[in-house]
Amino acid sequence: MPTAAPIETDAVVIGAGPVGLFQAFQLGLQGMRCHIVDALPHVGGQCSELYADKPIYDIPGLPFCTGQELIDRLQTQVKPFAPELHLGHLVSSLSAQEDGHWSLSTDQGISFLARTVFIAAGVGAFVARSLSLPGYQELVGQQIFHAAPHARAFEGQHLVILGDTDTALEACQTWRQGPQAAASVRLLHRRDQFHADPKSVQNMKDACSENTMHFTVGQPTALIQSSSPAGSKLTGLEILNHKGEREVLKADALLMCLGISPKLGPIAHWGLAMERKQLSVDTESFATQAPGIYAVGDINTYPGKKKLILCGFHEATLAAFGAAARLYPERQTPLQYTTTSTHLHKLLGLA
Amino acid sequence: MTHVVSESCIRCKYTDCVDVCPVDCFREGPNFLTIDPDECIDCAVCIPECPVNAIFAEEDLPADQLHMTQLNAELALLPNWKSITKRKTPLPDADDWKDKTGKLGELLR
Repeated sequence: MPTAAPIETDAVVIGAGPVGLFQAFQLGLQGMRCHIVDALPHVGGQCSELYADKPIYDIPGLPFCTGQELIDRLQTQVKPFAPELHLGHLVSSLSAQEDGHWSLSTDQGISFLARTVFIAAGVGAFVARSLSLPGYQELVGQQIFHAAPHARAFEGQHLVILGDTDTALEACQTWRQGPQAAASVRLLHRRDQFHADPKSVQNMKDACSENTMHFTVGQPTALIQSSSPAGSKLTGLEILNHKGEREVLKADALLMCLGISPKLGPIAHWGLAMERKQLSVDTESFATQAPGIYAVGDINTYPGKKKLILCGFHEATLAAFGAAARLYPERQTPLQYTTTSTHLHKLLGLA
Repeated sequence: MTHVVSESCIRCKYTDCVDVCPVDCFREGPNFLTIDPDECIDCAVCIPECPVNAIFAEEDLPADQLHMTQLNAELALLPNWKSITKRKTPLPDADDWKDKTGKLGELLR
């Protein structure tokens, strides 16, 4: 891991979902600089990942919008404060410093020294689904991939693609023909049903009838490896097929297109007070029991908690006020309104 | 509140749900999966994963499945029902049982 100097900041927001983005906006209004970290390569969290095109009807003042539209609007709203985004980073550790700062580091080697931390991590970080088979982890990046490492990665190889997503079907299309074609392409999924565009499914089935690829219904049961002094090498994937019989599929490479799912992950090990795997907070400032750490949105719990985006916005607002009061105890600013405050207009870049 | 596995899962155990659970709250019995209500955070991610639509938010349980809330909680406490976090092969005759109703008598503890 690179050991660059930690980024010093007023605040780190963990999670770039709707509540994390709005948290950054509210911190901006309090004059606090913040960095946002998210495990996904894009902002939006569950809104973008689970229901980008689905409608939301209960955002105040927005009678109707889709998940993605809400995220787009929140990004526009937070723009004046230009929070720095660190996407594709999973916050792996959080620890207290003697001077009251918090030290955070990501799995990609970035570290922060933050005066306050806002955990807006929803149901956890979205991570690629994998298989639980002996020897699996050792082969990741060698012969098991969650995405092709380069455009000709599987040329001339026996490739087994696992999954039922559009990504899986696109991969079949990419690798079954053309100069980069694999020696053979086999799609493996546990059922003959797909979470994908019906047209892509039809294309895949047509390709199977033309014999340019194969589709197998089955469940992986073991990785078949040959061992030599140079180390072990994947040669096949043992499956239980739809007849309940064991079968070995020839495989030089596995491409996992099983989608992603959220995992609470490291947050549970940071010593924060939790109840049913959610962070306990007070409802005055949505502070956890750890001074300077706040939890907002789906990740927190308190009496009467409702997992609604609009409640997360309220939580983020009070958390920002709470953090500002903690950071600037000498400040005795009365509540200001964005409608009339010249100070806030300046912050918003309007004046 | 919690989410609840209804009778549809009995003798099927497709296990698609366990892969997506962010807090690993599923427990596996001989022919049924249950949700530990003390672990479930009501995120609802598992609902669409189940190929037989066996999982419901507690308040959405069909009238004939209301007893399953209590049963899920009881089963989750059994010492032989262990946490399951990665999906596995469904029971061999899952497809034959998936559309059957009134399977409660088939439940093995």
